[in-house]
Amino acid sequence: MKTIKKIKIVVAGPFAAGKTQFINTVSDIKTVATERKTTAKGEKEVKHQTTVAMDFGKIRIDDEHELYLFGTPGQSRFDFMWEILGEGALGIIILVDSTDPKTFHEARRIINFFQSRFPVPIVVGANKQDLPNAWSADDISFALDISEDEGIPVIPLSAKNKEDVKRVLLTLLQIIREYIS
Amino acid sequence: MALTGDLSVFNFADILQVLAKDRKSGVLLVEWKDIVIAYYIKDGELVFARPVDKVFRVYTDRDFDKLLDKLRIRKEDLHKTIDKFFLSRLGNKEGIFSFTPGFIKYNSDIPVFYPVEELIMRASRVLTPEEVERKISDEMLIFEKDKNWENILSKVKLTEEEKKVLDLVDGNRSVADVRKAASGLDTLTVDRALYGFLATGILRRKKKERTQRPSISLDLLAKIIERIKKL
Repeated sequence: MKTIKKIKIVVAGPFAAGKTQFINTVSDIKTVATERKTTAKGEKEVKHQTTVAMDFGKIRIDDEHELYLFGTPGQSRFDFMWEILGEGALGIIILVDSTDPKTFHEARRIINFFQSRFPVPIVVGANKQDLPNAWSADDISFALDISEDEGIPVIPLSAKNKEDVKRVLLTLLQIIREYIS
Repeated sequence: MALTGDLSVFNFADILQVLAKDRKSGVLLVEWKDIVIAYYIKDGELVFARPVDKVFRVYTDRDFDKLLDKLRIRKEDLHKTIDKFFLSRLGNKEGIFSFTPGFIKYNSDIPVFYPVEELIMRASRVLTPEEVERKISDEMLIFEKDKNWENILSKVKLTEEEKKVLDLVDGNRSVADVRKAASGLDTLTVDRALYGFLATGILRRKKKERTQRPSISLDLLAKIIERIKKL
């Protein structure tokens, strides 16, 4: 029996940034989710269920390889999971809710976390661009203090839109390719 | 695109940082509990502020020179409106902001009395410990001076404490090291200074040297890219 090699990309971001939706949109399988009812004040008003350990979806590449998309829990009280999930990742996608500037600082903190532990390519997805009051990707880049030489592109998207999600993934993969070649 | 939010979670230093980086022009409207104030932004600089009783009035006066004539304000006095309606309110964190780009026509040169970098530093000086923690979130962060730092610094009047903190940032010391080395200064003062330097662009995060080469072959990567494209 052939062993399937797993390639990992981590999808991280603040609470309610749309990570589970992002994975669902492109996964071959229904996302394996570890969701529980939100209980914290300020969170249950935003959504009823939240990821507490991880989500994962996968995309079959060929007979020998599968691409795994691991979604981290958004709340920083689960940051021990970020460390576990980041190990061995090929790249990291940080999603941000473009309509919610109060989460931008948290997004930057998450970028710092992964940058300091896993020096792999990172892209930021400015999610929920389909909603009114969404900040532009450029403005989010400024708000996140992303300097040019960090090489972290900010891509506008709606995680419900397959083409958008593909664009984010492809951007990350292109950066990885530049690192290798 | 919208640029809206709540001052309690996205403060003036942050807002001005975004407006300055892209040299935006337009009007920033802040609805405080007691008053609504329109802040006029030209090329990223705050040039004028005025209270408005009805928000729609902001959008009817699109010609800046005519607006000044109407309000009988001389250009050399514009900075007084910033003293009165901006600097005096920096400690007030309860307000909703929204920035509308464009639409104001600035016909002539407008004096910039307070460069935006100076305003960002002033806004940073009144940040609460909770606000500061949002940007200076990790004491292991390492900052370095931006290549353009001297030019930015020439627009700002630093306090003696801020000068001391800036001298300590060398691209090697972490936030924890800077705090420790800044003897006589409390953590909040150090962090506020770092926050301001970061927001003005005087400092930037030191880029990590990438040591981890992606563990995947080019062929496999090409295969993944093709697969994603076909999804």
